[in-house]
Amino acid sequence: MVFSSIPFLFFFFPICFILYYAVPFSWKNGILLLFSLIFYTWGEPRYIVILLFATGVDYINGRLMERYGTDKKIRTVFLCSSVVINLSVLAFFKYADFIISTINMIFGTQIKPLGLSLPVGISFYTFQTMSYIIDLYRGTIQAEHSYPRYLTYVSMFPQLVAGPIVRFADVQKEIYARHIDGEEVRRGILRFMMGLFKKVLIANQVGALWEEISSLGAGQTSVATAWLGALSFTLQLYFDFSAYSDMAIGMGQMLGFHFNENFNYPLTAVSVTDFWRRWHISLSTWFRDYVYIPLGGNRRGIAKHLRNIAVVWFLTGLWHGASWNFVLWGVYYGILLALEKYVWGIRLEKLPGWLRHAYALFIIVFGFVIFAITDAGKLITYIGLLFGLKGNCAADSRCLWYLYNYGVELTAACVLACPVYPWIRRKSEQLKGGVGILVSGIGYMMGAALLLLSVAYLVNDTYNPFLYFRF
Amino acid sequence: MSIQDKIRKITVILYCVIILGLTVLFFVFPKEEFSQNENRYLAKFPELSRETYMSGEYMDALSEWFSDHFPMRDWFMGYKTAFEIATGRREIGGVYIAKDDYLIEGYATPVNTQRICDTFRKFYEKTDKSTVDTNLMLIPTAVTIYRDKLPALAPKADQTATAKEIYDRTGIPAIDCSGKLYEAAPSGQLYYRTDHHWTTFGAYQGYVAYCEAKDLIPVPLEDFSSQKVTEEFAGTLYSKVNDYHHVKDDIVVYTHPDDRLTVTYTDTGEVTDSLYNMEYLAEKDKYSLFLNNIHTLVEIENANAQSEDVLVLIKDSYANSMVPFLAHHYRKIYVFDTRYYKQGPSDFLAKHSEVTDVLILYNMNTLDNDSGIRGIY
Repeated sequence: MVFSSIPFLFFFFPICFILYYAVPFSWKNGILLLFSLIFYTWGEPRYIVILLFATGVDYINGRLMERYGTDKKIRTVFLCSSVVINLSVLAFFKYADFIISTINMIFGTQIKPLGLSLPVGISFYTFQTMSYIIDLYRGTIQAEHSYPRYLTYVSMFPQLVAGPIVRFADVQKEIYARHIDGEEVRRGILRFMMGLFKKVLIANQVGALWEEISSLGAGQTSVATAWLGALSFTLQLYFDFSAYSDMAIGMGQMLGFHFNENFNYPLTAVSVTDFWRRWHISLSTWFRDYVYIPLGGNRRGIAKHLRNIAVVWFLTGLWHGASWNFVLWGVYYGILLALEKYVWGIRLEKLPGWLRHAYALFIIVFGFVIFAITDAGKLITYIGLLFGLKGNCAADSRCLWYLYNYGVELTAACVLACPVYPWIRRKSEQLKGGVGILVSGIGYMMGAALLLLSVAYLVNDTYNPFLYFRF
Repeated sequence: MSIQDKIRKITVILYCVIILGLTVLFFVFPKEEFSQNENRYLAKFPELSRETYMSGEYMDALSEWFSDHFPMRDWFMGYKTAFEIATGRREIGGVYIAKDDYLIEGYATPVNTQRICDTFRKFYEKTDKSTVDTNLMLIPTAVTIYRDKLPALAPKADQTATAKEIYDRTGIPAIDCSGKLYEAAPSGQLYYRTDHHWTTFGAYQGYVAYCEAKDLIPVPLEDFSSQKVTEEFAGTLYSKVNDYHHVKDDIVVYTHPDDRLTVTYTDTGEVTDSLYNMEYLAEKDKYSLFLNNIHTLVEIENANAQSEDVLVLIKDSYANSMVPFLAHHYRKIYVFDTRYYKQGPSDFLAKHSEVTDVLILYNMNTLDNDSGIRGIY
């Protein structure tokens, strides 16, 4: 099920939360688990088996690890069993066809692809359960004794299908006991609504623009149009993804959980290094803590450091989708990060701020073109169009037409990609007396209008994609 | 608690009221079966079975049911459109919000031209050219003839080049009415403002072009008796855009006083003396009044026709409003809807030696996706 849909918003969401608040605390985890399983089985009932299997494996390995706690070798066996099984399941369902098509391409063989559909959220929950078992191995957390409780953690619907990747250590205490506070619930609702508006009113709209531009013929795409397309996709992905995180964090708050922030205005980064501190934080810290640092990070000389960067960014790319363009996208960032670290990082810091923003934004937007287009031929063509190498003109009236039609959405997206909204809220909360009432009053009228507008867009659903089926 | 906090609390309550209110309304409101505005049947509540559940079909159908029966659905769609137009959107769902209150459907890049040419050519090759005179008319739509009315900066799509390609590749003698349409543009309304069809005035220009190509003498428009049958026509484009304040269209129908018609709908067995079914005026889709909407095969006989010629018409709905003019010149017209006529017009021609003329008439905008093309040959 998708958060930004009529069935979720008007049936699942109210019924789930009314029941959740109505029952005594000892039942709350049960309700949460029940609704999470309904949520997961809504689109693809079969794959619930994989979710149960993956969590079962980690739960059992966790218990066994706890029982044979003192012997490091035995613990390692359980760790390996868990990690190998998790990664095999992920590899089979997500990467089998990718591996087959790559083998076919290299060796000219004719192996038939399996054509499996990707279990929703598998990349997210596999990483969650692996973080549990690795943390347990390291001794930073206690093993969970109740399988339903462990399943509740992994399958918790707000974060199940599109992150953030919540670690057991962060929510373990709240799984046992949490305080559901009226103020927190209200904040959660506001956060959820913010996410809904971002997804429906901005991400879907700029996404429709990208859809339109990317399906134009090469002869119809001027350089300006091509860049407008690339910018639209960048904004779509950011707003879509961060909206999902907003909705997840908001619903988490409504349930009494506190998930970590997943985005921190990544499009305002001043360098590639900075961008990855701000973009999909739960994923980059996961790779940092479970791959990069165990490999030695940057503490074992330049050669090992470069190897570690290469490994992490190859995997980061691959995580985003079973296609070579995602790997290329990861490697692209790996190289740029290495260059910032060893070549121009210090010089970059001396540049004026606007230039550093421009530098980072150029890399980000260009990078998302690699991310957006899975077909190699089309990708090369589009890059050609971006730099006017296809004999296309610099700008045309079509580009202006798009700007005119999508101007409001694009402007709103660009403004909200900067930390303007928190600034407005802070300032308006400081306002006293009549002005304060007026500003807040306008704010809440606007909120209600935006909610009705979002509903209107959902009822008339022309374009409402779920981008994470690849992840 | 500060005032800001109180207002924030009110906002949250308002959100909850909206969500819960609409949920309650959903269950309280009666469910419609048919949407007049969209001219389609709304989704039915799906039946649960093991297969549909496991394949996910059941949930998809349920989602569609939720969204089709959402309370105040039409209001929400209108709200969305009003907002989009206010933010500068001049194209909604492939329809341009054009000048002079016109809604003009955009022309998508055709993808089936090759297949369409092959079908037309095969049909034409099979006709006996010594006894039957075949012509092809591809009618340009408003996006071409009224391109000056398109919103500023709107990308121009070229129907003319596609039409020329089809004319050339099929080899069927072409009747191009675009010149007549351009000529007549200043003196009347060629296309509906809210619908993708041409008006009867537009259809008359097509008829004149046809007559000139066939050496027939077109009847002056004044010689027909005209009747304005509605001022409240809100067509398909109106439903796509959902701008409820948009102006509506008139429909004017023409009849020749001398014609004595017998119209037989072979699929239903109904026989009338008129080419119009005014019962459709009570419905949303008023264009259906021409030739009584959709029929597999309609036979039109005119006891007072100008000639003994017999015409076979293979066409889309654009022809429905041109037939009243053509009827004056033919003793009998066979009107095929090849979406439903499965035996193939070629066989029909082989069995009916009285046929003297064949006209294939399609509009350029829906040609590419017309499911009736396959039925021609």
